[in-house]
Amino acid sequence: MNAWRVAATKLLLLAMLATAAHGGTPSAASVGESIYLRGILSSGAPLEGTREAGTTAHAADAACVNCHQRSGLGSREGNLSTPPITGDYLFHEHTHGPAEPVLPYVESMRHREPYTDATLARAIREGVDPTGRQLSYLMPRFTIGDSDMAALIEYLKKLAVHRVPGVTDSVLHFATVFTPDADPAKREGVRTVLEQFFAEKNKFPFGPSPRMWTSDKTAYSKSMYMAKRRWQLHEWQLTGPASSWRAQLDKLLTEEPVFAVLSGVGGSNWAPVHEFCEEQALPCLFPNVEVPVVADRDFYSVYFSKGVLLEAQLIGQSIVGSDHQVAPRLVQQIYRAGDSGEPAAAALAKQLEQHGISVRSESLPPGPAGRGLAAALRAAARSDVIVLWLRPGEIAALGPAPRGSQIVYVSGLMGGLESTPLPAAWRPQTHLAYPFDLPDRRGVRLDYPLGWFKFRHIPVLAQQAQADTYLACSLIADVLNNHMADSASRAYLIEQLQGMLERRIMTGYYPHLALAINQRFASKGGYIAHFSDVPGDRLVADSAWLTP
Amino acid sequence: MLASRATVHANHDLTRWVMISVLALVTLLPPPASAGGVPGPQAAVNSAPARHTLITTSRYTLPAILLVRDDDKTVSLPEEVNDGRPVVLNFVFTTCSSICPVMSQVFAQFQQKLGAASEQVHLMSISVDPEEDTPARLREYARKFHAGPGWQHYTGTLEASLAAQRAFNVWRGDKMSHSPVTLLRRAPDQPWVRIDGFVTPDELLQTYRGLSGPSGGETLATR
Ligand code: HEC
Repeated sequence: MNAWRVAATKLLLLAMLATAAHGGTPSAASVGESIYLRGILSSGAPLEGTREAGTTAHAADAACVNCHQRSGLGSREGNLSTPPITGDYLFHEHTHGPAEPVLPYVESMRHREPYTDATLARAIREGVDPTGRQLSYLMPRFTIGDSDMAALIEYLKKLAVHRVPGVTDSVLHFATVFTPDADPAKREGVRTVLEQFFAEKNKFPFGPSPRMWTSDKTAYSKSMYMAKRRWQLHEWQLTGPASSWRAQLDKLLTEEPVFAVLSGVGGSNWAPVHEFCEEQALPCLFPNVEVPVVADRDFYSVYFSKGVLLEAQLIGQSIVGSDHQVAPRLVQQIYRAGDSGEPAAAALAKQLEQHGISVRSESLPPGPAGRGLAAALRAAARSDVIVLWLRPGEIAALGPAPRGSQIVYVSGLMGGLESTPLPAAWRPQTHLAYPFDLPDRRGVRLDYPLGWFKFRHIPVLAQQAQADTYLACSLIADVLNNHMADSASRAYLIEQLQGMLERRIMTGYYPHLALAINQRFASKGGYIAHFSDVPGDRLVADSAWLTP
Repeated sequence: MLASRATVHANHDLTRWVMISVLALVTLLPPPASAGGVPGPQAAVNSAPARHTLITTSRYTLPAILLVRDDDKTVSLPEEVNDGRPVVLNFVFTTCSSICPVMSQVFAQFQQKLGAASEQVHLMSISVDPEEDTPARLREYARKFHAGPGWQHYTGTLEASLAAQRAFNVWRGDKMSHSPVTLLRRAPDQPWVRIDGFVTPDELLQTYRGLSGPSGGETLATR
């Protein structure tokens, strides 16, 4: 098929989809959304904005979402303030005085006379607000025709913070998701932490004290129900094959509407949950998963790290950036089919092959630990490097040490981190991927959560997952209590989290955390480490913290 | 350690400042009638300029930190800055969607305006989000803005990026609070000219030409 026909078919398809969805011409909502989120006009042409003296904004870079955010509530960053532009903030009379204001407090909100459709169109095209004030340089002056403008304004009106499912005047509903292939000990440990955290949050609501707010904000203190609401946890235990999870999730969400999905435990396949959250526009906050979904355009899922995919990058960087005397030419990977090592091995193979290194990946048949392992190890005898994506039971049973010149890498996440039961004979030549801060460096940051577990007699069944769960809960409590006033918008929750994370001092297993618009992995690096000579679990970093 | 020493040395000898203000259009609409004659809250904002920049000169002591350039080479910040060419420097990050694209576009247009001389000016963009901004990501970002050979992007460890930001007094607590600053210097013995706020490509060119004049840093662009 030639390019023209492909394009024509695509257009036709698009038109049909749009018509099918809205029973007529493409709806104003979808045009408005496409201008706002992607910078594409109804004609398919790119949105164009200009600024004084020739800088321009074009297509996706011109889209309103870049500055006013997905929620439409804007942001306040340093001395740069981008105002909220949802319909309620633009069109409402802002009462300014002792009376309770109509709208939830947003840091960058403006006090000016309300817009009309006409003055709003003028603001977007000419950069002049209803009082005649010129909008600042950063806000582009856009070229948008009348019908597209009407659609955009319609979209802004719809963005207004309405009632959000899962939020009532007194309760915030959260779900946590456990997939059937989740490790039972991890699930039990995580569940206990969640239940305890929610119980305490409700017993001692720790909202911001009105005094914390400066005079201009106190007018809004009455509307700060975010902090005052009780939290309710819904545990969503999925069953059966992964292909059936989506239907289960949709049903659960209909029966128990929630504001966000918090923590949870997955096995090697989290994709159905990730996709569910994206499609339902539901925040999916810090699940305990080894294989998160890496998708550049997604927004609602936020993870602590890329898990085994980060390990693959760390191992790859270590192999390629060879401090080894002889550059490795042949790398042998071993993983068990269906386990988390499978996607990690695929990612590493791709990375190494780009550097001209041959990779052989041995997939062990699914089944009991140990099956096929001895044969795979024998086959690995001729390689320069062995990479093992294996569970503790298999690591413990590795057998005789490999040839002295072979270098071995082990997934720390899968093998058990510093408790990886690596046989003594393997230790001298083995390196562990370690996507966290090292044990002797993170001590202080973990004292608090570990003390919290101990004091409450919470059994430590999976320390890292439980500490991450505690961290996730306290982060979300911080965002809701201190950064959200009463704007119960799901997108705004993600945006405020992106903005505040970098300043957190208590970051658990991670040396630091940070996010931004278009970032979904809060910790970006890790170590390649080895066990020190002394018997025990002391790890020594091969090099500095790596951010591949 | 390095960083705090650098901050102390960042010596703001404010020799001269010029405010460029492109003032708001004269009010187009009559002011809204406010009930009971109470002035509306919008009265105060009306006078805010649409864009203003503040130009100052300063001397900064640069710490001997290592950065990773977008060609994967590890380089020293002072050596990159003192490579014999005039320097124009800013701080950006690749996932920044509001102010950075504007700053990078200004660099791109400035570089174009320099024409044949463009390689004789060293443009440096240092990432304030170095863990996310790998050299590969920086290359992709540079390509997007059609960066010519005289323009390099830099990353490194978080500590190194922080030290660089502190040395130039641009660190504001986190990357989210990062604000538009452009720094120019003609030669190592000259002071830095610092432009706070959004500069246009033409103003940047004017300021740069002012640097290169016979009296060096004394000739600043005004408007
Ligand atoms: C590059 C960043 C950027 C982009 C992209 C952008 N804006 Fe803005 N916008 C701003 C900033 C900053 C302000 C505040 C201007 C001021 O304070 O003078 C603003 C102000 C506004 C205002 C005035 C709000 C008020 O309360 O008076 C409206 C309306 C607006 N923008 C709509 C839009 C729309 C619609 C789009 C997309 C078509 C868009 N903006 C894209 C940065 C941006």
